[in-house]
Amino acid sequence: MTADSHDCEPGPDDGESADDDGVGGILRGDGGQVGTPFDTTADVRETRWDRYGRAIDGYIRMPLTIMRQDWRSIVGLSIVAVYLLMGTVLTWTVEPTRTGDGPQFVQPFETWEYPLGTNEMGQDLFAQTVHSTGPVLTMMASGALFTVVMGTFFGLVAGYKGGEVDTVLSSITDVFINIPGLPLVIVLSVLFEPTHPISVGILLAVAAWAGLARAIRSQVLAIRDESFVEAARMMDVPTPELLIKEILPHLMPYIMVNLVNAARTIIFSAVALYYLGVLPFADANWGVMLNQAYHAGAIYRPDATHWLVVPMVAIAGISIGLLLIAQSLDRVFNPRVRARHADTGDAEDGDGTEPGSTEMMKQV
Amino acid sequence: MTMTTTDLTDRSEDVIMEVSNARVSFGMERGRARVLNDVSMDVRRGEILGVMGESGSGKSMFADALLDAVVDPGVLQGELTYYPGDGEPIDLLSLSEEERRRYRWEDVAMVFQGAMSSFNPVRKIRTHFVDTLNAHDYDVDRGLERAKDLLGDLYLDADRVLDSYPHELSGGMKQRILIALSLVLDPEMLVMDEPTAALDLLMQRSIIALIEEIQSKHDLTIVFITHDIPLVAGLADRLAVLYAFEFIELGPADDVLAEPAHPYTRALLRTTPNLETPLEEMRPIEGSSPDPVNIPSGCSYHPRCPMADDQCREVDPEPYRVDDDHIAHCHHWDEAIEEESPVAVGGDDRTPTRAYVGPDGEDAEDPLVSLDDVEVHFEQKSGGLLSRAEPETVAAVDGVDIDIHENDTVVLVGESGCGKTTLGKVAVGAQRPTGGSVSYRGQDVWDAKDMLGGVSIPFEEIRRALQIIHQDPGSSLNSHRRVRAILETPLRRWFPELDGNDRIQRILGMLEYVGISPPEDYIERYPHQLSGGEKQRITLIRSMLMDPELILADEAVSALDVSLRVEMMDLMIELQEQFDTSFLFISHNLSNARYLAEKTGGRIAVMYLGEIVEIGTVDRIINDPQHPYTQALKWATPDLDPDDEIETADSPIRTIDIPDPSNPPSGCRYHTRCAKAREVCRVETPELIEADEGPGHQRAACFRAYDDHAYWNSEPIVEGPSEE
Repeated sequence: MTADSHDCEPGPDDGESADDDGVGGILRGDGGQVGTPFDTTADVRETRWDRYGRAIDGYIRMPLTIMRQDWRSIVGLSIVAVYLLMGTVLTWTVEPTRTGDGPQFVQPFETWEYPLGTNEMGQDLFAQTVHSTGPVLTMMASGALFTVVMGTFFGLVAGYKGGEVDTVLSSITDVFINIPGLPLVIVLSVLFEPTHPISVGILLAVAAWAGLARAIRSQVLAIRDESFVEAARMMDVPTPELLIKEILPHLMPYIMVNLVNAARTIIFSAVALYYLGVLPFADANWGVMLNQAYHAGAIYRPDATHWLVVPMVAIAGISIGLLLIAQSLDRVFNPRVRARHADTGDAEDGDGTEPGSTEMMKQV
Repeated sequence: MTMTTTDLTDRSEDVIMEVSNARVSFGMERGRARVLNDVSMDVRRGEILGVMGESGSGKSMFADALLDAVVDPGVLQGELTYYPGDGEPIDLLSLSEEERRRYRWEDVAMVFQGAMSSFNPVRKIRTHFVDTLNAHDYDVDRGLERAKDLLGDLYLDADRVLDSYPHELSGGMKQRILIALSLVLDPEMLVMDEPTAALDLLMQRSIIALIEEIQSKHDLTIVFITHDIPLVAGLADRLAVLYAFEFIELGPADDVLAEPAHPYTRALLRTTPNLETPLEEMRPIEGSSPDPVNIPSGCSYHPRCPMADDQCREVDPEPYRVDDDHIAHCHHWDEAIEEESPVAVGGDDRTPTRAYVGPDGEDAEDPLVSLDDVEVHFEQKSGGLLSRAEPETVAAVDGVDIDIHENDTVVLVGESGCGKTTLGKVAVGAQRPTGGSVSYRGQDVWDAKDMLGGVSIPFEEIRRALQIIHQDPGSSLNSHRRVRAILETPLRRWFPELDGNDRIQRILGMLEYVGISPPEDYIERYPHQLSGGEKQRITLIRSMLMDPELILADEAVSALDVSLRVEMMDLMIELQEQFDTSFLFISHNLSNARYLAEKTGGRIAVMYLGEIVEIGTVDRIINDPQHPYTQALKWATPDLDPDDEIETADSPIRTIDIPDPSNPPSGCRYHTRCAKAREVCRVETPELIEADEGPGHQRAACFRAYDDHAYWNSEPIVEGPSEE
């Protein structure tokens, strides 16, 4: 509560004090009007801005403040931001390239016309890289989200519900774990010939979620016997809410790391499959570029090396960016770190005193 | 602390360990934490020194310091000298790695707190002994002979135990093996850090008795560290009280208990529930123990001390000599000692604060929750060592009838594994019974859940009415949610008409009501920013916000500090009056049970191996227990009387260990341990019958409650004391 009222940031989340007369009135003082604390209600109605303010504070401002303190997240976020810019703004400004746009094998950083050089067909590698970014990011996002959503859902429900639900869900999971992933993807891609980035992403993730589901299930099995879960059950909290609010936060660091890893796996396997020529070429992307470079013998030709290097750097770059973000996200979900960044002045002093000492005592 | 240790012990006592100005400090983010603050102490040869303190008072640190086993990043400074019976004094802090290894275990050994985790689960007990002997280059065969002797002394079947894996043994057995293990190298001094904290009452008492025997047999010096004052009252020769990382009082046990000179000791004794002290004389200690980073200047107890004045705030009290052998670190010890003794003797005016309201029998109003012949059988999947195909069934609860009325209080007492938690969970609908029925105001709870028959009260309503408070406040709050989110959950679910501001206002009011202030600060905290007592209050509020009819409090105070327990119990009782709630308490501790039941005019139910063996109003159960098991529990509940010598001989139980619950004894289940058992107890099962005479209400399941029964003509079971 103090979080909102002491919040000195201007803007919509400050609405509470603007709408109501007197912050003090909301905070204290009207508890004494009624006989028992159990009948207490507030004098002031909650406004929509109060709710939004709290939501913004918890879900956006707080994570950002924590991430700001960690160089990994700053670097990671910047890298990903660059890719996002490439995928959006630059796509509008940079002309798509066509065969014969320029001379063959212009080396990178030679002319500003072709900053990353050209390939055998005289295509501008920079333009090609930029225009690949959008589809690649879409593919990664769809694949990673598919993996995580499926894995988390199967793992959470199977682990928490147990019994027959667990048996059914776990059997499905086991089937997907045991299907050899690559052959399945090859067969499916031959069957469906997916060209849209989203469908390619999902296709690549089709067998990837099962392992995550298993891992999450085993973690849920440990958490569901904790007293606080039983307490929530005793309060008759609906199961979906219980899963999302009580159990999921404990898994979030693990899920986030998996999300990022899944994204990396998607891009790697996509590149591999384009390189092998299993996936149909719709338009240029980093995997297609690698494939073409290889077939043009770039491995043996010093003047064509940059044709291989440019997409490789692009892939490595996004991969590193995502890894850094994943590492720093761990802190965002840690309640001890979150507590330190609560913007209440009072909480700051109180923070750590008790638990720090008791924890220390326990270690000893 | 200006007096040197020689001043304090100029009586030329035979000192085995001299500690002077020992200090342990940690570097922490918030500054240097001193978890042992210039402590001086002499341990005399052949004595049992009881060291008592609340959690976080530095008592484990003191134990570690005696073995020079303070772990990183702690740094131990000061002087610790060990005087062996023969040979040169040893300066602990200048030992080489090898010398220290020899010193530990061969000269001074330690018994740790967690017997459960002190053994490697994949190795047999014998291996643990052999490893210890090998590590110190002892002759293994001779060592094992000695180990067998020791195990025998501790009433264990040495050959069977040595060939067992840790999981095959009960907690009490493991703790005794740990004692044997620590003695196998024949040390001169034994440091015991809460050796019985994880054990049941009967087991605790039995082990305490064994310690006394072992001590005289092996000529040991024992430093016994505990938070449980009554436990050491009859055992220790001298008592030392730790508060805020230093000793505040030291003296012969009788003197310290009868005439404590430090206000903290007095308060601690007064706040310790036991079976004797009248309730009016029990009161909690205000405030909480200080933070190791921020120890108050002057006397560290002054913020909580009613007698504190300017001198206490500024000058750290030196050890004042109360008499020859009794010292206290208090400027006003002479005033403190003039108050009447905190340990009341006698105290016959045990009038309950509230009269017993729950009527017994059929003429009663409709009970709130009624359990009828409830059974819970757990199937143990086969797979252990003897993996037979047939799953073993463990009857956690076996045929229990109990009615809980409105505004009623029932305290379930029993050893661990007797099914009291399972029964409690059945009563609040958290566990489905495998047999019998549970009904809430006449509606069968599980029929309502399954929508069977005509449901008069919907399950949702029942769910709201029956709530639970867990034992471990650490795990009953979700560590990822703030206090506000935790407390909003029940309000969101059950009072959708409240908006966010109403909810917060109500939570603030409740926080303030239970004494958490300022609530505006606490509402934004995460559980790790709360102390144990605060966490338990939050859980209490959480269940209260549901406006429940019955709350199951599963050992709700046993995880708290001694000085906080009475306060917490008082709070629960106060809330019960305020909100017209019934309570079902679970406790392994008869003292707490008596406190709760007597204050609320409730009943105590004693459970043994899944059955209720005795139930009744508190005065009857405590003063006139009918069932031999209740009598044993009462025997095992230590009181503050220092003259209370414990002898194994007058133990009312024949064996220390509980029978295997998957294969309970025939007839009366208690007959294997009962000192009064006769042949008929093997075959016939006693029913719960009304014990006649006297006011109040009492029912016991023992043939001795019948005036006229085959029992009285039956032969006593004298199969010879199997283990005792």
